[in-house]
Amino acid sequence: MLAAALPCAAVAADATAGMQKAQVCVGCHGPDGVSANPAVPSLAGQPAQFVATQLVMFREGRRKDAQMSPFAANLTNTDLNNIAAYFAAQKLTSAAAPADAANTEAGVRLAQQFNCVQCHGASLMGQQHIPRLAGQQREYLKTQLRGFKAQTRFDMDGQMSSAAQPLSDADIDTLANYLAGIR
Amino acid sequence: MKISNAWRQPGFRLAHAAGAIAGWLLIANAWTQTPPAAAPAAPPSWQQGRSAEQGTSTLHPIAPLLTGRAASELPLDKLKLPPGFKIEVWVDGVPEARSLALGDKGTVFVGNRNLSDVYAIVDRGGKREVKKILKGLNSPNGVAFSKGTLYVAERNRITRYDGIEDRLDNPPEAKVVIDNLDPSQQPGHFWKFLAMGPDGKLYFNIGAPGNIVLPNYTQASINRVDPKTGTMERVAQGVRNSVGFDWNPKTRQLWFTNHGRDWISDDMPNDTLNRVSHKSMNFGYPFCHQGDFLDPEYGKGRSCKEFDAPALKLGPHIAPLGMRFYTGKMFPAEYQGNIFIAMHGSWNRTTKQGYNVMRVVLDDKGGLTMTPFLTGFLTDEKADPPMWGRPVDVMLMRDGALLVSDDYNGIIYRISYKK
Repeated sequence: MLAAALPCAAVAADATAGMQKAQVCVGCHGPDGVSANPAVPSLAGQPAQFVATQLVMFREGRRKDAQMSPFAANLTNTDLNNIAAYFAAQKLTSAAAPADAANTEAGVRLAQQFNCVQCHGASLMGQQHIPRLAGQQREYLKTQLRGFKAQTRFDMDGQMSSAAQPLSDADIDTLANYLAGIR
Repeated sequence: MKISNAWRQPGFRLAHAAGAIAGWLLIANAWTQTPPAAAPAAPPSWQQGRSAEQGTSTLHPIAPLLTGRAASELPLDKLKLPPGFKIEVWVDGVPEARSLALGDKGTVFVGNRNLSDVYAIVDRGGKREVKKILKGLNSPNGVAFSKGTLYVAERNRITRYDGIEDRLDNPPEAKVVIDNLDPSQQPGHFWKFLAMGPDGKLYFNIGAPGNIVLPNYTQASINRVDPKTGTMERVAQGVRNSVGFDWNPKTRQLWFTNHGRDWISDDMPNDTLNRVSHKSMNFGYPFCHQGDFLDPEYGKGRSCKEFDAPALKLGPHIAPLGMRFYTGKMFPAEYQGNIFIAMHGSWNRTTKQGYNVMRVVLDDKGGLTMTPFLTGFLTDEKADPPMWGRPVDVMLMRDGALLVSDDYNGIIYRISYKK
């Protein structure tokens, strides 16, 4: 007998069910996960595994946030898979203007120099458990990078804390401007 | 302290530096009771030992889907077995299912590495219920069961839960068998495999604290602890990281799998299958790998002749994890005494391999032959990720069927045989 036939078995990710569950998310993260709040990340177009993994970390108390932790506390794995499938299927339309030519050129160079593209992908769209950076909210990106540099931001394996060490404040601003403006 | 890119330079041992600093702070802190300053952020342990030329490599460990996937989402028709064998999903919804243990009353206990829970699966006439029985543990990768007691190996300790099968909804408090197994909060291979030996002692690994570093006296080893006394002793050393072992039912000797180091090349060194035939064996890490390959750095001025060789080379970056001798009655007679090994599969290789269960046949003259048993998880050896599932542990059920855990999907499969 296949376990899929059993009442307790996990069910396939369902973006429609995810949309229902995500109604509470879009209050801050914006309609369809496209954030209009500079401090709140967009979730639209993020890899599903990234969204689900972060929600697990909030739920398990490994990543802590006054806003997020209570929301994640009572979600099941099926809820998380559905929410992740929903946001992954949405299209991110960045509200930010592209960075000016000089910032873009510098941003492209820094993303190579500091190996952002190695994990986040050549077009910085994220993959698997690694987030999309292209089109993300500028202030949110700055806060995360500063947090990684200060080692105060939750980090699964130390990768980002290590990668952020050599970044200057000016580098962080340049990268955030560049990334936020990628269409 | 400002950190530079010095860790990318060949020969720079940041894991050592960071470990030394952390250790010093621990001691200093005990004296002064002041909070330590933040240590510089070390790169993740899996990057340790990477050369400057490899600094732009896109190879990375494959993260499991921590929420799991439903059986209905898996391409199960891709899985291949020898004729007469059948595979099915035994249960889904067991997040990051890794090590397996079987209770006296048929409960299957499941540990994990990135989460903090132990799960129990109760089978009532084919209806399987998944219960989260323990919470808030520290990487509870190792589970073992003996005489009514569940033992759990966390990164820092081994605990026991007596009579747990009668109390799955109200588990007893943990009793500590041994503590302080991770005093330095080591990076690297901190998760533990656990098994009950025929001598009534619990066997477990303490992995190397990085890819290629000089371990301390307790690391890179297999050990055993007497659950009656809590006294630990070393069984074997020079073992980089073993996450699977079992005892040969004929000789009662311990056999174990071992992971070779990363960042040498796609084809070196091999991961290995090893046999413990006497006391004080040393399998070479970090000086000599696979019995005949000196480490480019630590092997200088050493010889592989001073170390013990593996029983079998399994292939490079194939990631052997759980292994069991087959002693069941269900499979054909020629499978008696064979070893099944779960291969978790490559990450540190441009062309991926593994992601299967292999069969090792031991002949009368001591020869070993390995052939594929369960294949089909690998979809594209060049893709990222290259597979849709990753075997972690193999375990015999009382009817002779073989369970296989898959941490990527949070699934346990059952392999059975019918003529």
